[in-house]
This record gives sequence, C-alpha cells and structure tokens, in this order.
Amino acid sequence: MRELMYLQAINEALEEEMSRDETVFIIGEDVQAGAFMTTTGLVQKFGPERVMDTPLSENAIAGAAVGSAMAGYRPVADLMFADFMWCCADEVFLKAAKWHFIHGGKVNLPLVFLAAIGGYSHIGPEHSQCPESVVMHTPGLKLALPSTPYDAKGLLKTAIRDNNPVVYLYHKQLLGAMGEVPEEEYTIPLGLADVKREGKDITIVATSYMVKLALDVANELEGRISVEVVDPRTLEPLDIDTILASVRKTGRVVIVDEDTKRCGVGTEIAMQIVENAFDSLDAPIQRVGAANMPIPGGYMEQYVLPQPKDIVAAVEAVTG
Amino acid sequence: MTLEKEQLIKLYTNLVRARKLDELAVRALGEGKIIGFFHSGQGEEAVGVGGCTFLRKDDYIYPHHRGHGLAHIISKGVSPKGFFAEHFGKATGLARGIGGFHGSDPEFGVFGGAGTIGSQFPVSVGWGLAAKKRGKGQVVVCFFGDGSSNRGTLHEAMNLASVWKLPIVWLCENNQYAQFMPIKDAYAREDIADLAAGYGMPGVVVDGQDVIAVHEAVQAAVERARAGEGPSLVECKTYRFRAHVEGVADFVHGDMRPQEEIEAWKQRDPIKLFEEKLLEQGVLTQEDVDRINRETEAEVEEAERFALESPVPDPAILDKALYAD
Repeated sequence: MRELMYLQAINEALEEEMSRDETVFIIGEDVQAGAFMTTTGLVQKFGPERVMDTPLSENAIAGAAVGSAMAGYRPVADLMFADFMWCCADEVFLKAAKWHFIHGGKVNLPLVFLAAIGGYSHIGPEHSQCPESVVMHTPGLKLALPSTPYDAKGLLKTAIRDNNPVVYLYHKQLLGAMGEVPEEEYTIPLGLADVKREGKDITIVATSYMVKLALDVANELEGRISVEVVDPRTLEPLDIDTILASVRKTGRVVIVDEDTKRCGVGTEIAMQIVENAFDSLDAPIQRVGAANMPIPGGYMEQYVLPQPKDIVAAVEAVTG
Repeated sequence: MTLEKEQLIKLYTNLVRARKLDELAVRALGEGKIIGFFHSGQGEEAVGVGGCTFLRKDDYIYPHHRGHGLAHIISKGVSPKGFFAEHFGKATGLARGIGGFHGSDPEFGVFGGAGTIGSQFPVSVGWGLAAKKRGKGQVVVCFFGDGSSNRGTLHEAMNLASVWKLPIVWLCENNQYAQFMPIKDAYAREDIADLAAGYGMPGVVVDGQDVIAVHEAVQAAVERARAGEGPSLVECKTYRFRAHVEGVADFVHGDMRPQEEIEAWKQRDPIKLFEEKLLEQGVLTQEDVDRINRETEAEVEEAERFALESPVPDPAILDKALYAD
C-alpha cells in the first residue's frame, strides 16, 4: 500500500473534505504557508477565501470559527501550537463547548480546532504542552489524537463532518512519521479504539506519540513480556469497551499519556477500569505521564516528560 | 432616511414593550418566578430598540446583556413569551429551559448572549465572516457596553473585521458603569467611538436616549455594511436607571451611586422623550398612547401567563443535550 507522512495525511484529509464540501474552510495564522506543513499547498487549490491567513489573534480566530459554524459553515481553525489554545480559552472552552447545549440544541457548532501538541523538541513550556486532560475534562468537546498517518487522515475527515466541535491534536514528533494510507476514501469513527499490537501479559493504553514509545518498549521487551498496546484514538468519545476487553485478557495495565499525570487522562482511564473491571486486575494499575511541573527547555525536559525507560519501569513493576 | 408614521409608531411601541417587559422581569424576580438573576435595562431601551427594529430578519444581532437583551430581541422580532419561559426555567423557553438567560431564536438571527462580557466581539466576527461568504447582504449588529470595551477581545475582533471589511456594526451601549466601575476610571478618553480611528472605520457618538438618533446612526452603518464597505462603530451615551443587578446595592466603587445623578438622567427617559415628541408632532394622540400602553400590558400579561403555565422540562432531555446528532 502507498505510504504517506503523517503531515501529508492531514493535508490530504483537508484537501478531500474541502473538495467535497464548499462550506469547509481553514482559518488561522500562516495557514497558507503552513507552520507545520499540514495546510501547505491548499491555498493554491482553493484560494485565499477558503484558506484564510489571519493576524496574530487567537480570540478572533477561534471566535470566527464558532460564529461561522453557528451560521452554517464548517470551519477548521488552526491554532498552530496547542499552547495557544489558552489565549482563546473562552472561545474553545466556553463558547464552542457549551453553546449547542446552553442554547437548547437550537444551534450546531460543526467546527474543528487543529493544534500541534507535544514536547521532545526542547522548545520550552509554552510550545510543548499537551492539553488533552483539560479538553477531555470539558463537557461538549470531542477530542481526537491520531498516532499514525492512517488514523490522522481518517479521524480528521470524520471530525470535519461531525456536527460538533472537535479538538484535533496532532503531535509534532509524528509529523514526518511514515505509514500506510490507502488511496481509496475511508473515514474512522470517533470513539473507536485500535489495538496497535496484540499481546497477552500486559495492556499499555497510550495516545498520540506515546503510542510510538509504547510500541518501541513492547518491541524491546519482546520474548520476555508480551505487551498489548491499545490506542483509544479519541478520548471523547472514549471507547472504554476495547480497553476493558484488553484488560480482561491481560489483567495488568499501564497507561501512558504525555500530559501532566496529576488529574490527567491516565487517571480517568484508570478509574474507569477500576470501576468496570476491578476483578480482572492482577496488579495495581500504573500511570506514566509528565511530572507535576512546567515543561522545561534544554536538557531538563527529559526529567519531566515521560521517557521509554519510565514505561519499561512501569511495565516491569506491574508484571513483576 | 425619514421614517414614515407607522415606523415611528413601531419604534415607540417597541420602547414601551421593552420597558414594561423589563418591569415584569424585575417584579417576577422578586416574586421568585425568575430562577437566577436579572440585570435590568431600564433607561437604555432606545439603544436596543433603535438598533434592531428595522434590521432584516436574517441579520444577526448579539444582544447586550443588560435587560438580558430584552429590548434588542423583541425589536428583532422574537416573542417575549419564550424569553420569560426561559427565565422561569420552563420547557417552552428560548433554550428549552436549559440556558437560563441564554435565549436563542436562530430564525430571527438571535443566538443568545454570553456570561463572559467581551466575548461577543470574536463570535460576531464569525457571523460577519459567514454573512460575507454567503453574499446575501446580511449584517451583524454587535452590542457591547463600556465595560466590554476594556477587553482585549475588542481589539482582535475590530481589527480583523476591518481588515476583512466584514459587515458588522459595533454598537456601544455606554451606560457609563461596568458593574460598579465608572467609565472615567476605566478608559482614558471621553468617547469610546474614538477607538474607530485606530481600526480605519467610521465612529460616531449619538445620544442614546434619543431613539431616532440611534436609529439613524445605526441605519447609516448598516447601509455601509450591506454595501460591502465594512464595519462601523456607533457609541450611544446612555444610563441605567436601576442597579447593576437586582437585589444588589447600587455601588460606584465602594460608595453608593449618587441619587441626584440618577434623577437627572431620569429626566431624559427615552420613552418619555419620544412620546412627548410624537405627541407634539401630532404623530400620536393621547388616545394612541393609551391604546399602545394597554395593548402592551396585555402582551406582558400573556407572556407571564405563558411562562407560568408552561411545564418544567423533563430532565431526560439532558441525556441528548450535549451533542448534536
């Protein structure tokens, strides 16, 4: 099968959905050039009316997405770094998330917030964050975190067609990752986890770039510990059933999420496992996540963000 | 731009409706019928009425939070029944009893308001962008107060709307107090309309107690927007007669608002001013005035009755309320 880079898969999803539906447009800072090359080339095909470069104005970008979505369009607002989502927190967390609900269902907000997440680039505390815990905590926002080119394309196409706001977080470390992407049309439903690797001794639940780290660890432990890796792909909706099925098979769980561990995604998933499959657990669940501090720059980053050795240690502790 | 007799009467009628419906809200809150709070708009009616009465049905408005948008939305065509049903927490409310004071009637280009003051600017950019893309001549009238003008969102939105020449009228309802904060201590100049120069758009100041002055300024801005010439800023100097929110003392900083200031402004009640003018010009007779008041009272009673008699929502609706299909 044909292989594409993760960023090409995102670009192709945008191109296909813009061709399919004239109400889809992209808005954000430097989207015509494409700060991460996810939107590069689209202005040549669709023109500046549908690939709209904006001033440095996150409130106005996100507000333009919210307003135009209410008024019949399907905007894709590119926030560049996910850290910048805090600049437009009102529009994301109060308007997009709540307004279908608070207006009694009379308006829909079919929009996508695109943003690049993640560390391991040594670019410090305001260009490296993963906001998935806060997004997942907020009722009314769907949340997709693709870990492969195939998922990146299929999830984005579905997100654009969804009649609700979807936060779509792509990882900077995955932009150049290669993977199979069929030429034929396909979509991936939100709320369908994918077992990225089958195993029998332990389940690692991981999202986004952490899936890659988990798979690397699984390969490293091959022959000693048989690791199953489950990627929820979307955290809202969350396919807890696939996670529980894996837990019932292996009886042991490590959850890896790059966001701050405290009150994080791993905490939520662990508790849902305890509530629903406690009797299947043969050992306490362990979480791997970022330490409870801002993400430092330079050499210090590695002491805060999850590392493969942390995943190995957690797996050994749970299976030991 | 001269208004016909029936248009003048419509403006007057909407002023009377806005006042009497606001009075109902104040009373109903005191009687425990309104669940929540109410921010009266009495004294400021000419801004909402003058700004909305002659808009097109498919134009968008972002109502001001004062009066919870009452003067604005009824002038746009929304029935007050749903407004009161929503405030009474009922299933027939503008947001099915879920929104509280966030009314929504998309058929009239009304999507309700926001709890975060100043968030109207970015969302209005979105409506303006949609209107421009659609190309049917729709405009957006975004109401905001002197308090909102202190938010950074104003800058981002006004700047982008001007760069893209969006069909938006930024309509400032300057009642001179942001809750307990007087404008003179929150803004370094006299007129908020001065901001317009920084965004390359026209900015005018009008007497917000004079419904005709408001109407004419808004109309000029609307025509400019419909013609594709971009946004404008209209600042209406007005005043609220009641406290910021019902049931809370009427502070200015840590002191009480001066009674003599309130009394002086009440001499410029927008309804009385317009009524006197229309009587003097012979547009209305005293009989007409009495009839309009009687008819409005009937409408107010009907809105209250409808809201009272409507059922409380079934909590089961919450199960499917979070997401659209």
